[in-house]
Amino acid sequence: MNEIRAKITDIQSSDNLSVLSLDANGQTMRLMALGLSFPLSHDLEILLGVKSSNISLATSIQGELSISNQLPCIIESLEIGTLLCSVKLRFGETLLRSVITKASALQMGLHEQQNLIALIKASDLSIIKIFQTSETKCD
Amino acid sequence: MFYINIQKTLHGTLGNMELDVAFSIKEHEFVAISGSSGSGKTTLLRILAGLEEANGEIEVGGEIWLSNKTTLPAQKRGIGFVFQDYALFANMSVAENLLFAAKDKKLASHLLELTELKELAHRLPNSLSGGQKQRVSLCRAFMRRPKLLLMDEPLSALDPLMRTKLQQDILTLHKEFGTTSIMVSHDPSEIYRLANRIIELKHGKIIHDASPKELLLKTQGSQKFSLTGELLEILKTDVIYIAIVAIGQQIVEVVIDEEEALRFKVGERVQVSTKAFSPSLSKVYI
Repeated sequence: MNEIRAKITDIQSSDNLSVLSLDANGQTMRLMALGLSFPLSHDLEILLGVKSSNISLATSIQGELSISNQLPCIIESLEIGTLLCSVKLRFGETLLRSVITKASALQMGLHEQQNLIALIKASDLSIIKIFQTSETKCD
Repeated sequence: MFYINIQKTLHGTLGNMELDVAFSIKEHEFVAISGSSGSGKTTLLRILAGLEEANGEIEVGGEIWLSNKTTLPAQKRGIGFVFQDYALFANMSVAENLLFAAKDKKLASHLLELTELKELAHRLPNSLSGGQKQRVSLCRAFMRRPKLLLMDEPLSALDPLMRTKLQQDILTLHKEFGTTSIMVSHDPSEIYRLANRIIELKHGKIIHDASPKELLLKTQGSQKFSLTGELLEILKTDVIYIAIVAIGQQIVEVVIDEEEALRFKVGERVQVSTKAFSPSLSKVYI
């Protein structure tokens, strides 16, 4: 599970559903969640989780995209398998891993130090930890 | 309102245990009592029914059922009791079993109609299926229009289909008679469907008292789809790893990272979680 530290900037709720706006490494992110039973407020720091298989990659984007999270990254390293490719990405201070098909990696001509955009749907992001203050951690 | 505050020393296989519970129930509430075996669930029900003695107080709508001075006999408490093993009179027909509880032919006929048992009214219990017997037992419990309906794992001996049907009958009767119900159950789906409150006992004490959703919905942060299982194996495939996890009677596969593959040990208890957005449902045809 990839982990991204972020700060809550806005909370919108309708019945049981919430959409959080977040700031991570200066980038705006959005998360969709059902029935958040724990107290959340603006400026609260949280740890986001996302599976490697839920991170898509793009070299450039044209037109509008419904994917809420578009994170500028740099490729740190590539591990190419028989069918799949595991891409280690640097997003600001955060390291992420994306697993894509080898065919996509070859088609995109991925290489180390390449600039990319990592794409994550708001519904694929989850909250795995809430930091009470910047110093104390709370599960 | 029902006010219950009782204490009793129980002699179990693990030595003595103090049953010590205090709670109140609003009228028309449907309360599920859960807890591991030997936690005092059945004893609590039997004390409420007046089938067992205890110290403390039970007050029901201003009427004292139990105090340090008085103990109201079971037959005067206005309760209905449904046991797991039906407890029907084998030598009486279905209708006679009902009329034995109260001589009200109109009510008996109405109850048998509600539970689709009318055609079986003259049959003897031995000629009925388990589900039918338990429906008769349920109807009999309602013959005295109970203020309080007590059920001790009433559906645990039935197959899943019959269980669903009986759950519907219990809910229909609970609403129609405006009764207050307390049911011992271990089945999360049953508790979720029927009860609006769940009290969990452990070693004779209440450890949880909450709504079924609060207590039964296992969550991991914002991940609402969460199940506990045992990690059976981790396999490396290409550049990813696959964890094989046994959850109940089923085996599932979860794709994990290299870091996770190193962190977990085979045989460990693990929580399998995902967001409520990811899983999909499809019908199961038997």
